[in-house]
Amino acid sequence: MEHDPHLQRVLDRMRSGVLSRDGFLGTDPRPLEEVLDADRSAVAALGTTHEEVAARLGEVLDKARAGLGTPIRIGDRLVATHREAMGRIPCPFGGCGTFPKGEVELTDPATGESLFLTALGIHMVGKHGFYQGRGSRYRLEPTALGRLMQLGGG
Amino acid sequence: MDGVSFVLTSTVVVAATCLASAVVLLIAERYLANYGPCTIDINQGSKKLEVRGGKPLLATLMQQQIFIPSACGGRGTCAYCKVKITDGAPPIAPTELTLLTDEEQQKNVRISCQVKVRNDLAIEIPEALFRVKQFTGVVERMRDLTHDIRELRIRLVEPAAIEFTPGQYVQLEAPAYGDNPEPVYRAYSIASPPSDTGHVELIIRLVPNGICTTWVFTMLKEGDEVRFNGPYGEFRLAEGDAEMVWIAGGSGMAPFWGMTRHMREHNVQRPCTYFFGAVAQRDLFFTDEFHDLEKAMPGFRFVPALSGAENDGWTGEKGLITQVVERHLKDGSGKEGYLCGSSGMIDASVKILKAKGIPEDRIFYDKFT
Repeated sequence: MEHDPHLQRVLDRMRSGVLSRDGFLGTDPRPLEEVLDADRSAVAALGTTHEEVAARLGEVLDKARAGLGTPIRIGDRLVATHREAMGRIPCPFGGCGTFPKGEVELTDPATGESLFLTALGIHMVGKHGFYQGRGSRYRLEPTALGRLMQLGGG
Repeated sequence: MDGVSFVLTSTVVVAATCLASAVVLLIAERYLANYGPCTIDINQGSKKLEVRGGKPLLATLMQQQIFIPSACGGRGTCAYCKVKITDGAPPIAPTELTLLTDEEQQKNVRISCQVKVRNDLAIEIPEALFRVKQFTGVVERMRDLTHDIRELRIRLVEPAAIEFTPGQYVQLEAPAYGDNPEPVYRAYSIASPPSDTGHVELIIRLVPNGICTTWVFTMLKEGDEVRFNGPYGEFRLAEGDAEMVWIAGGSGMAPFWGMTRHMREHNVQRPCTYFFGAVAQRDLFFTDEFHDLEKAMPGFRFVPALSGAENDGWTGEKGLITQVVERHLKDGSGKEGYLCGSSGMIDASVKILKAKGIPEDRIFYDKFT
């Protein structure tokens, strides 16, 4: 797979400084296939799918965006705040178009746990099963997602 | 032959083979990939360029001082540098396929940084791009407007003057730094009025993980040289005297700061209400300046609004900016809407303005948002 030219192009686009300052792989030393495999297993263990996770996160993103920067309550536990940014960013996997920049900070005030969501990040979860590398600001660790979003009844 | 001799001989043979291959490739590049002189016909004869083939179309046009908007510096990732190639186009490259829709492919739209000029081409681009130039300037002033918004005032050096229409934008070049191996370009609306031909002012919000804004906030300083190209964009005040509704948030202030000063300088009496949304008082800026402009311009009204719950002492408008617009704007018929901000704010504002009776073709905003 290392010699797959498409995969190499994807990896090139994921490097820091290409599409974003810090890239998509964070400080994760694992090969991309290993990151994808591990997260696939973790999501399956939660009893859900990439598509379902993306759909739930998409609902949060939409509600937060409608708040135009004002913190919005998500259910009875979570708070989501959208931070605007102008411009669009393409998907590093290619062929998926571009996505609006800006991020949503999703927090559980009781525990202080939080995750950062982006339109591109959610797209990559749903379409490519990619939750970004460990150490990335936008890493959506499936177990953390499971706790925060109570996925799979967790 | 002993083991050591065998290894040495093998090493020499491999090295010689690699060297020979490199020489062959260089010769091939020099002679076989030299496509000689090519003609690029732009807009059915409006302009004809005689160029040397072999380089990407985007770079070839740039050498001829024709700038196509591009954010990634020609690396085939941003999909901004689209042009229509009506004749002579090579087959679509795999790198383009991922960035073009089916409809664009059918309409001969191509990613110009991924198309090599190998023969004569006929292309179509907006005529306005003929006026785009590359500028060099010096950061004359840099000041923080809020905790995460900064203003740059750039004195132009070469060329020393710029002509633009209020509302247009430029592409600022962030040079290679850190892990960022090549320059990138990001679009920012011009915040200064066109009368100040020797300067360009930009209002920039820090974007987490942003390549260009991180450079602006952590590395750029007063006195530094900067490069940008422009002006670009169709966002501008439409002809006529229709009453205007402006809506902005954050760094979306930029075009309206320039437009208002331009209107003041030209004594434009057109009625206008400017709704500016923020979460907290620390996110507001230019408030005093706009209230001063209200006094100088009878038809102009500035309505800042805060949406956060904790805004003690704030006596102005409260709520999401779209809710404030909904309260103030009784009937939108005959009016025009002008928007600048995040895509979420623009989507929500378009919905409100349409519901108030402003037709979609009278609602203006720039696509780069």
